[in-house]
Amino acid sequence: MLDAVLHRALAVPATIVLAFAANAAPVLDWSGFLSLRAASSADERPLETDALSAQAQVGLDWWASPAFGAHVHLVGRTDDRDAVRGHAGIAEAWAEANFHPAADRVRLRGGAFFLPTSRENVDALWESPYTITSSALNSWFGEELRPVGIDATWTHQRASLGATLFRGNDTFGALPAVRGWSLSDHWTVLGERFPVDAEYFTSVSAENDGRAGWSARASWNGERLYLQATHIDNRGDGLDYGDLDNWGTRFSIVAAEYSTEEWTVAAESGWGPTFVFGDGQKFVTDIDASYVLISRRWDHARATVRYDDFGADARERALTLAAFWSPRGPFRLGGEVVRASDRYRVMLEVRYHFAR
Amino acid sequence: MFRIVCLLALMLASTAVLAATLTVRVRDGRGASVQDAVVYAVPEGRSVAPPKRVAVMDQKNRMFVPHVLAVQTGTAVKFPNSDDIRHQVYSFSSAKPFQLPLYKGTPSSPIVFTTPGVVTLGCNIHDRMSAYIVIVDTPYFATTAAGGQVTLDDLGAGRYAINVWAPGVRDAPAPVTVVLTDGERRDLTFDTRKGK
Repeated sequence: MLDAVLHRALAVPATIVLAFAANAAPVLDWSGFLSLRAASSADERPLETDALSAQAQVGLDWWASPAFGAHVHLVGRTDDRDAVRGHAGIAEAWAEANFHPAADRVRLRGGAFFLPTSRENVDALWESPYTITSSALNSWFGEELRPVGIDATWTHQRASLGATLFRGNDTFGALPAVRGWSLSDHWTVLGERFPVDAEYFTSVSAENDGRAGWSARASWNGERLYLQATHIDNRGDGLDYGDLDNWGTRFSIVAAEYSTEEWTVAAESGWGPTFVFGDGQKFVTDIDASYVLISRRWDHARATVRYDDFGADARERALTLAAFWSPRGPFRLGGEVVRASDRYRVMLEVRYHFAR
Repeated sequence: MFRIVCLLALMLASTAVLAATLTVRVRDGRGASVQDAVVYAVPEGRSVAPPKRVAVMDQKNRMFVPHVLAVQTGTAVKFPNSDDIRHQVYSFSSAKPFQLPLYKGTPSSPIVFTTPGVVTLGCNIHDRMSAYIVIVDTPYFATTAAGGQVTLDDLGAGRYAINVWAPGVRDAPAPVTVVLTDGERRDLTFDTRKGK
């Protein structure tokens, strides 16, 4: 029944957008960035990265009217982390309808999108203004979670409720349980098969069992304080599907953020079980990841400290120091040092932002 | 020269003495003060001067600042983004539907609001951002602060329709007509009820 609802629901925003396109003057905008990056040698999780890499990300926004539009997020990169079809592709593609009943706001989004929960990936194209690489929690979400379905958000004054019905993401949970956590910014693209180990892959596009997943969230937004709670259940059946094993994952997240014009303190904590069947047995792994970051902003610069704590079978911790400087308009120079267990990674990056 | 300066000062003082002062308090159904209510006095039977200033609706710390911006019809409004992340400001209110592209800094052209009414703003990137621009056909307006009170102290003698708009209130209180004389000081209180 959830699948039937999802199929019908996906058609709604697409239909509305097409209908309005016939009667409006559409607007097409694009924006994105190019980056060049150098990193110290880091071969082991969670710091694995290429020594030299480049990437480009572009967002295409087409708005039939201020209320109805569509977005495509394209990614191209040299560092594919040994994935299949991981060099270039579509990270997001969705259509959206916005309504303002009375003083409220209702947003319906249909397609493939990042779950709107992260307190660090708060810029367009799921960029973070705080660090080059994301926390273990959001690195995982960028690699292995991309709801393909419909999301509805209702905002009333300071409170907001959201719900998502999605397909795909049947392998969500494999990476932290088998490969381990990472501290990275590899946003997988649709259709990409990302390596879990020597035998298996994970893919946000994997839909093997015909069962829709769901997510629900609630948030409260004060003048400076923001609180949010989220639950995700991909309803995976945990069965073997060749080199794409399904994992059944239920994951909860609580988040808080306190911000002023200069300072931001943000924290998220997520936990839950993930399971897979093997040799007739059910294997359950409890996974968890948390972080807290403190960031200070100046006119043309920002500095951030982030502490990560994450685990599955083993416990790990990491400390990240990052600094950005934007000397002229579209350029951003960034540096990041990460210490995880007894390993270090130093990263330098030049990022160029562009927009229509 | 000294006589000219004295004469000018006397003329200015005379103008200030002639202006009427209207103090308006806005409170909700429980008697509490209402913040961010727009109080505006529309003169009846005479034209008003066109707007001169450019207003600003900023984006700071992923919030619109101010939450409620009152402007006279015909005012240009700038939308600077003071954050180091991008915003995509939009409105689909009938008084002024528009959409700005994703941007940091200040868009090249301000937007001119030529139709009286209320414009609801949002950001397509950040759901929690919302604000209002209230466009009124008069230069006599002010927005209440935490105390729920404003003073309009530059009103000439004449007849005015006093109106109040407050966010979250579906049915605005009925306008009150006042006739002000030179130098008069008048107090008014408006009660609002939250819409359902």
